[in-house]
Amino acid sequence: MAQAVPTHEDPALRGRFERDVLPLLPSLYGAAIRLTRNPTDAEDLVQDTYLRAYRGFAGFQEGTNLKAWLYRILTNSYINTYRKKQREPQTVDGPEDIDEWYLYDRLGGRNVEGSAEEEVLDRIPDQAVKDAVESLPDRYRLPVLLADVEGFSYKEIAEIMDTPIGTVMSRLHRGRKALEKALWETAKERGFVDA
Amino acid sequence: MPEHEPECTETLLEVEAYLDGEVDPALAERVTHHLSDCSPCLDRAEFRKHLKQMVRDKCTERAVPDSLVTRIRQLIEEP
Repeated sequence: MAQAVPTHEDPALRGRFERDVLPLLPSLYGAAIRLTRNPTDAEDLVQDTYLRAYRGFAGFQEGTNLKAWLYRILTNSYINTYRKKQREPQTVDGPEDIDEWYLYDRLGGRNVEGSAEEEVLDRIPDQAVKDAVESLPDRYRLPVLLADVEGFSYKEIAEIMDTPIGTVMSRLHRGRKALEKALWETAKERGFVDA
Repeated sequence: MPEHEPECTETLLEVEAYLDGEVDPALAERVTHHLSDCSPCLDRAEFRKHLKQMVRDKCTERAVPDSLVTRIRQLIEEP
């Protein structure tokens, strides 16, 4: 972190923090919940992120990507602190063994009139989708969250995760396949599809 | 798989990056053109697009606990 003027001693900086960083709270909290998988840890993670961001805000270059800067702090804080407390969920198959069109093929995409596959997807409750995302191991969950929920580009995700862009692409691809499998299992368990 | 044509193979290979807005303009144009022309490929592309949107909609938290808002406010007010 840059050793510049502390944010609390610079009214303009503090004003800019309030104006630009506070509105990102819902989005950061959402990511924190999906990462820590529990609301208490998510609050702690977000507080820690805001504290680090506030202290280091003088070092943030105005006009560059604020959201990506904050997600980088969140990601690092999560990896350094919270991940150590948690066990990684066990995945039975590596995503490389999952078919390319896993969910589409299973939802009967081959001869379906209209958009029946999409209708099945829409019937899956919010919590089941959240559970499916949370079941992914970190290396897949992070890029899927950053791309599909937060809408970051591959380049931004590479910067946030401090990973080469090719690694981001392969983890995102594998993560999405693993998510399709998790969604299928959920849909089956809850009786949304006959299988 | 609808891989009747080389265009189908290319489209299905690139559709993920295409939907992420991460392919170059020339490739994007080829994929767009092929999708306008091939309903099996379009059906798959639409499915993936819908899935991506569903994950976004269902994983977005709209409410932040008051306790957290208070903690963040305190952090800014008390150096």
